[in-house]
Amino acid sequence: MEATERTEATGGPEEIEVPAPTAWPLTMAFGATLLGAGLVTAGEVSLLGAVLLVAGAVGWFRVVLPVERSVRIPIEPEGQPRIEPRPPTTHPRIAEREHRARLPVEIFPVSAGIKGGIAGGVVMALTAAIYGVISHHGVWYPINILVAGFYRPELRATTEELSAFDGWALLFGTLIHGVTSLLVGTLYGMLLPMFSRRPVLAGGLVAPLAWSALLYPTIGMINPVLARRIDWGWFLVSQIGFGLAAGVVVSRSLRIHTRQSEPFAERIGLETGRRP
Amino acid sequence: MNQAAVVAGEAGWELPSRNRVGMVCFIVAESAMFVIFVVAYLFYLGKSPYGPTPEQALSLPVANTICLLSSSGTIAWAVRALRRGRLATFAVAWGATAALGALFLAGTGREWARLVHHERLTPATNLFGTTYYSLVGLHAFHVTVGLVLLTTVLMLTLFGKLHRRYTEHVEVLALYWHFVDCVWIVVFSVVYVIGR
Amino acid sequence: MTGEAAVTTREVEARFWQRLHEWIVTVDHKRLGVMYVLYALLFLLIGGSEALLIRLQLVAPHNTLLAPQTFNRLFTLHGTTMVFFVGMPLIFGFANYLVPLMIGARDMAFPRLNAFSFWMSAFAGLLLYFSFLGAEGLYGAGSAPDVGWFAYAPLTSRAFSRGHSTDYWILSIFLSGVGSIGTAVNIITTVLSRRCPGMTLGKLPLLCWFYVVDSVLVLVGVPPLAAAQLMLLADRFLGAHFFDTQAGGSAVLWQHFFWIFGHPEVYILMIPGWAFASEIIPVFSRKAIFGYPVLVGAVIAIGFVSLSVWAHHMFAVGMSMTANTFFMVATLLVGIPTGIKIFNWIGTMWGGKIRLATPMLFCIAFIGQFLIAGLTGIMLAAVPFNWQLTDSTFVVAHFHFMLVGSLLFTVFAAFYYWFPKVTGRMLDEKLGKLHFWLFLVGFHLTFTVMHIPGLLGMPRRIYTYEPGRGWETLNLVITIGAFFQAAGVACFLVNLVRSLHKGKLAGPDPWDAWTLEWSTSSPPPEYNFAVVPTVRSRRPLWDLKHPEDPDWVYE
Repeated sequence: MEATERTEATGGPEEIEVPAPTAWPLTMAFGATLLGAGLVTAGEVSLLGAVLLVAGAVGWFRVVLPVERSVRIPIEPEGQPRIEPRPPTTHPRIAEREHRARLPVEIFPVSAGIKGGIAGGVVMALTAAIYGVISHHGVWYPINILVAGFYRPELRATTEELSAFDGWALLFGTLIHGVTSLLVGTLYGMLLPMFSRRPVLAGGLVAPLAWSALLYPTIGMINPVLARRIDWGWFLVSQIGFGLAAGVVVSRSLRIHTRQSEPFAERIGLETGRRP
Repeated sequence: MNQAAVVAGEAGWELPSRNRVGMVCFIVAESAMFVIFVVAYLFYLGKSPYGPTPEQALSLPVANTICLLSSSGTIAWAVRALRRGRLATFAVAWGATAALGALFLAGTGREWARLVHHERLTPATNLFGTTYYSLVGLHAFHVTVGLVLLTTVLMLTLFGKLHRRYTEHVEVLALYWHFVDCVWIVVFSVVYVIGR
Repeated sequence: MTGEAAVTTREVEARFWQRLHEWIVTVDHKRLGVMYVLYALLFLLIGGSEALLIRLQLVAPHNTLLAPQTFNRLFTLHGTTMVFFVGMPLIFGFANYLVPLMIGARDMAFPRLNAFSFWMSAFAGLLLYFSFLGAEGLYGAGSAPDVGWFAYAPLTSRAFSRGHSTDYWILSIFLSGVGSIGTAVNIITTVLSRRCPGMTLGKLPLLCWFYVVDSVLVLVGVPPLAAAQLMLLADRFLGAHFFDTQAGGSAVLWQHFFWIFGHPEVYILMIPGWAFASEIIPVFSRKAIFGYPVLVGAVIAIGFVSLSVWAHHMFAVGMSMTANTFFMVATLLVGIPTGIKIFNWIGTMWGGKIRLATPMLFCIAFIGQFLIAGLTGIMLAAVPFNWQLTDSTFVVAHFHFMLVGSLLFTVFAAFYYWFPKVTGRMLDEKLGKLHFWLFLVGFHLTFTVMHIPGLLGMPRRIYTYEPGRGWETLNLVITIGAFFQAAGVACFLVNLVRSLHKGKLAGPDPWDAWTLEWSTSSPPPEYNFAVVPTVRSRRPLWDLKHPEDPDWVYE
């Protein structure tokens, strides 16, 4: 901003007009306050306030009209600081060539999340079945417990009843398990690009551990009867099984570029190649 | 090159007038305040445990309403005259506006005097008195403020101080006056039509 | 020698009076902004001392430090002061200083109205505290107001609140409301009609956008309070019956009117905090803000929704189930745009080169605390939960997480960020970090812990409590935390005073920032910009610093 460019409509090359200082607004505010304060003190105070209010208003009016009063301020000799171009080292290179990139630059398609969810769900069901067999409760035991978590009368059932085959429980359990697996799988698909360095570690170990750590006290508080039936070691194993399977499937799938980082005009097809 | 990007191209840069924006904001705030008083009026309608009731006390202020609403017309006429530089027409129309406003206030004063002396209705009488005087009074206060401003402009006109370059100031004042009129339409419908 | 010394003393004195006069009659937005902020800091000290007294009284069961009446006055004044005479002047002070500079203007749209608004708020605050001296009234009853900051009817009627203390409360809040409306009008008008060439609404700095929404909320939120105060005044002076239940008036109507103001007010206070965060986080992450249009949309959405949630403060009053459900759903809706904003800030930091300077530290703490405040807010928005915990210290903890943990933290961030612009000198980083850690620890000792006695059933606004209810240790910890916070604030004040003279020289642009206020010298001259700038993007200084890679290509 060179000195030669200091030609403004409001002032000459060396001076700039700014509004003149005035005490009338202060007078008016004080008058208004006294006007109110008179209510709680004495009538005379209100009277004084009214006088000041009117005086302030009139004074103010005369400052603004017929012409707004202003003063001329000389421009400081050093003028406005000059902004120098600087090397582009101050900003992060978060993606190839792009410091403006919207992270994540690449995402997994929704289908990857769904596939991951299916894979995870299958592995989890298998783990649960193995647990059922090893714990001698039978292969139907885990799914009956899952349904019991949602349907209270089941909770009063004995272990024998829970070990037996139950068509409705199988239907509902599969439904609950399927929907949850798909949702969590999709969530994996969305979250894993954020942990792009070690997706399988994050998805396969950290997430299941965090989830189990959250559920352990929560179920203990909300539904202690159910909590007593859960074998937390195996619970953790099945969670990790899900996480690993979903994580591997998701992170193996093909990533696609988001176009978020491109200029808006380019994204809607108005312009191409405006970038230098 | 870069500095040029910051200096060039001021032509065609137009922004809304500050007086008009300021007045619109002020009107928004005023409307919010009136809404609360109107709500209070409607909420307490018919809840007074004892009379007088609106049906007993109020009559339609037809003349008053005609005065105030036609003043909106005269002020629009005045503003148009000023825009075309016809100061004499402006003075007449503006004076008519002020006179109509004064008539309205006088009418309200007469109505209040009747209510106080004949109907024995004060703000302390019952809920109807409380809400009626506060709502109509708040509006009358706004008319009074407007009237003071109108009179000031009228004086300036008569002393030859008004110039065409103040058209915008006058327009903004007219905006306020229109607002006061609109509020009267609401007050009229709520107090005298719905509430009676 | 002595004669000369006398002359110089007189000269110094004369210069002092001249400068004082200059400040008092000024209409310059920067000076008014500074005055707003100083005035708010003064009241912050007063309101903070009241809080310390309250905490000292509650430190142990059956404490007799304060009389119950004094306790009532203290919490009333603490609330009123913090909302109307600390929060509002602080946000308006920053708006006054920053908005014209950020949009490349030379002053506010209405400079004299600006001065008027400031003095209205200032005198209103004095009037409130004058009640300590002047409110004795005829009955020798009460000095300062003691009806709580929301002053529920019918406690405020003549019969229950004798003398003039409540009148002082009404008048001072009414007058400060006039000032607030004036400033709101001014801010909106300034942004709409004083932008420098090229600054379309889509290129407006986020802070200005947020302040416009904020001012609109002031315009529709504060007048209802003024109206309600006028009604209350009529009740007390003219014998009117608005809130007089014996003549058919309704006490619940006051609650509605108060919260029609009161809830938008929470957002009026909070939006500038988001504005500061939205300016500071990008600069200290070295990345442009993530999702500018979405942020603007979110804050506008919050502005709209906040107008229809007021009755969630009144779930316990016995409204109809329809009303309860409506206000619960509306309140829960606020969570959506709020969540969006949090994601925007995190998205800005994600992958950035984060500099952990003091302003950024405060902002990071803000994000976490704001999240918690929002979560407890959602809990309280659920009607049954609210019935259980209403008027407990859980509620107090919730809104202090908002007003202290979110607003005050961002305000501190703003102080550290913009102090160099205002004074030309940096605030000391070491003291700043000490301030941050003391305040952070104190804040969590006080307000995180305060949730628990609320869950255990401790009501708010009680002046003492019985031992043996499991509240003693918790209250002790809370009080200790309050003193940690006081120590933090003391660090801050020392830092302000010391850095004013001894701070490192800042230069025009110490943070390598991107908005227009950093393009002029620090402190800016009275006319702000020798040449009115023209902008082409949301980060005009970026364009100047990196001509080979300008922003406007991407917007």
